[in-house]
Amino acid sequence: MAIKVQVTSVIQRAVDGQRELDAEGGTVAELIDNIDMKYPGFRGQVADDSGELHRFVNIYINDEDIRYLSGKDTIVSDGDIISFLPALAGGSAACIG
Amino acid sequence: MLQIPRALIDEMVAHAREDLPNEACGQVNGLNGKAVTAHRVKNIEASPYRYSMDPLAMLKLENEREENGETLFAIYHSHVASEAYPSPTDVRQAFFPPGDLDREPMYPEAVYILVSLADDPPQVRAFYIRSGGEIEEEPIEVCNSADSR
Repeated sequence: MAIKVQVTSVIQRAVDGQRELDAEGGTVAELIDNIDMKYPGFRGQVADDSGELHRFVNIYINDEDIRYLSGKDTIVSDGDIISFLPALAGGSAACIG
Repeated sequence: MLQIPRALIDEMVAHAREDLPNEACGQVNGLNGKAVTAHRVKNIEASPYRYSMDPLAMLKLENEREENGETLFAIYHSHVASEAYPSPTDVRQAFFPPGDLDREPMYPEAVYILVSLADDPPQVRAFYIRSGGEIEEEPIEVCNSADSR
C-alpha cells in the first residue's frame, strides 16, 4: 500500500531534497520506519531515540494533526497524504523550552 | 541593503496592529531576489509572547511558491512590547532541532523581519540568523513597489 508523503524545509534535506515521495505502512510509525529504511536518518529528524515524535515537527494526515488522532499509532490508508512539517516559531518570550 | 516595497512594510505593520494583543506572523515571498508579496499566517499560539505559524498554511504557501518559481524571502513576526530585535527564543527556533545553534539555520536564505509595536511609529528591522546563533542586521531600504520588480 503506497501512501503519498509530503515533506518541507529541513526535513526535505533528509530525503535527498524531495518534496514528495511514496512510502508504505499501516500506521504513522510504520511509515516513518519505511522511509527511514530508504533514507537512513529520517527517523531521527521526526522522533527521538525512544520513538516519541518530536514536538517541533507537525505531522498531518490530510488536513488533520495526528496529535488529535492517535499520534504515531494513527492508522494510514491508501489515498491518504501524510505531511511532515517542521514548526516555525519564536516570539518575544525569554524561553519557551 | 534589503529593498522592501513600502506596501509590504505597511501590510506587515497593519497585520501586527490588527492581531494585538497577540504576536502576528507571516511570510514574504520573493521572485528573482526581490520581495514581492506578504502573506499573513495564523499564529496558532495566539499569544502576546510567542508565535507558531499554522503548519498547513505554511505548506500551502510553500506549494504556491514552488508553482510560481518564488522563494521564501522573509519570515516576519511582531513583538508587541519589546524592541524589533530577535529574542533568544527567536534565535533558538531558527534552528532544527530548536537550540541546535551549530547547525545551518532552518531557512538560511530567508531574512527575519521584526515589527515592534513598542514605539510609535512601529519599528521594522531585518536580521539574518546565522550558524552559531549569530545575529546580523541587514538594513532595510524602503522602495516603491514599481522599483522592486
